[in-house]
Amino acid sequence: MDCPSDTVFILEDVNLFFGSVPILTDVNITIRQRSITSIIGPSGSGKSTLLRTLNRLNDHYPTFRCTGLVSYCGNSIYDNRNGSVDVSRLRQDIGMVFQKPCLFPTSIYENVLFGVKRLKLRPKSEFYEIAETMLRAVFLWDEVKDRLKHSANELSQGQQQRLSLARALACEPKVLLLDEPTASLDPKSSEAIESLILKLGTRLTVIFVTHHLEQAKQLSETVIFLSDGCVCEWGGVDAIFSCPDKIMTQQYLAGHAS
Amino acid sequence: MMTSVRGRGLVGRFWFLLTMLTTVLSVMLLVSVVSVMVAKGGAVLTWEFFSQPSRSFGAEGGIRSQIMGTLILAVGAGLISLPIALGTALYQSEYLSLRFQSVVMRLIYALNGVPTILFGLFGYLVFGLYFGLGISWLSGVLILAMMILPTLVVSIREAIESIPVQYREAGLALGMTIPQLIRTVIIPYSFHGIVTGLLLGLARATGETAAILFTATTFFGVDLPKSFNEPVTTLQTHILVLSQEAVHLSATSAVWGSALTLMVLVFCFSSGALVIRSRFGVKV
Repeated sequence: MDCPSDTVFILEDVNLFFGSVPILTDVNITIRQRSITSIIGPSGSGKSTLLRTLNRLNDHYPTFRCTGLVSYCGNSIYDNRNGSVDVSRLRQDIGMVFQKPCLFPTSIYENVLFGVKRLKLRPKSEFYEIAETMLRAVFLWDEVKDRLKHSANELSQGQQQRLSLARALACEPKVLLLDEPTASLDPKSSEAIESLILKLGTRLTVIFVTHHLEQAKQLSETVIFLSDGCVCEWGGVDAIFSCPDKIMTQQYLAGHAS
Repeated sequence: MMTSVRGRGLVGRFWFLLTMLTTVLSVMLLVSVVSVMVAKGGAVLTWEFFSQPSRSFGAEGGIRSQIMGTLILAVGAGLISLPIALGTALYQSEYLSLRFQSVVMRLIYALNGVPTILFGLFGYLVFGLYFGLGISWLSGVLILAMMILPTLVVSIREAIESIPVQYREAGLALGMTIPQLIRTVIIPYSFHGIVTGLLLGLARATGETAAILFTATTFFGVDLPKSFNEPVTTLQTHILVLSQEAVHLSATSAVWGSALTLMVLVFCFSSGALVIRSRFGVKV
């Protein structure tokens, strides 16, 4: 799906519920193409729910409900009155990496190509080349090139997370959602993922959830701060971190700084 | 205070002894059944016993036809039941709402509790008389397929539910549709449960007597069926009829030999299921 304008996502008056419990209310934000956006906020503030709303991954929870407008490249993704939303096509466009690396119990090679093969995105003759390109893109090629047929579970957590990223990138997404991608990693592996996010931000729209304010500050151009079931404040990284408007944001940033 | 502690100790010891005794009793029962079978039937288990058809109404010959008949019914039932059970389990887990899932599961459990003789009666009336299959191996296969369906559905459902939710989400996040997810994630990673369910179903079908007694089997005079509407003879029927009516000593030995063979067949299916479940279950 090609975006006609510079804006990838527009969220207008969005309310998210699980059953009758509101998780987030009155969300109004826009996200630009080829930018890096971070979502921050205290635990339970709805960061992951908001992220998963963007690729409709909350749909498989039977009680999840979304009202308002969530638009991706000009198309409302929850308005399916005419059956116009192809959710699987949408998710191919919007790749996602989870907090804990989730690899299938198969080889490293098969994991990179899991989506490409099953969704028949490319001809078989290109598989090896795709695997190499993607593993190089996530700085993993040199570490695994001699053991591509080995089980992916042999890799360290950091390597597994980079492999998850390679698998998502192999499907050539236009947007990448990352749900606390470095939460379960050691500092060195976190650094590798952070470098990757910066690199990917030049050609993709990257939206990530993080608890590390320093990470949000260093990597993102836009910051969305969630608290008390709503978007408390959002805007440019400098504005949010240097002179936040809301007291709640000031308190949160100060609490983390101390 | 001391009395109360001593009292608790006595109660604890009582429960320990009671549960130990019941365990010993269970094991003893099983061991005694197996021991009697082996002691009485072990001697007749020769190659001839397995490879020859029975003669003189079971007093001579072997149990080749009975083994073949038992396997035809059990395997046939498994082959018919498996795709239906797989479809049911997948439809429930992937498409049905939680409320309807529980309704369907209640029905499946209710089907599991139906007395087997009623399956036999239903099969006799519907397949035998209404569809004109008569007393035939096909009637038996269809009835057994119905009987083992709940076992298969429950086992496959358990295997599907044991797939970590992360696999499902990882597949969906890559843009897979539900059919693609079923084909590439759910079936491969619940395969052990499918095989386990099939083997448990085969074990149940192999041991079943009542439902097939008056719909699919005959005691004597048949070997391998040559058409759909011919009956077969099975180990169960052989044991039942010979144990009630045989007077010849060699026929009595054949009963024990048949019983031991049936027990081994059921044991092989059940233990196969157990091995597959413990060895190939998805490990997270």
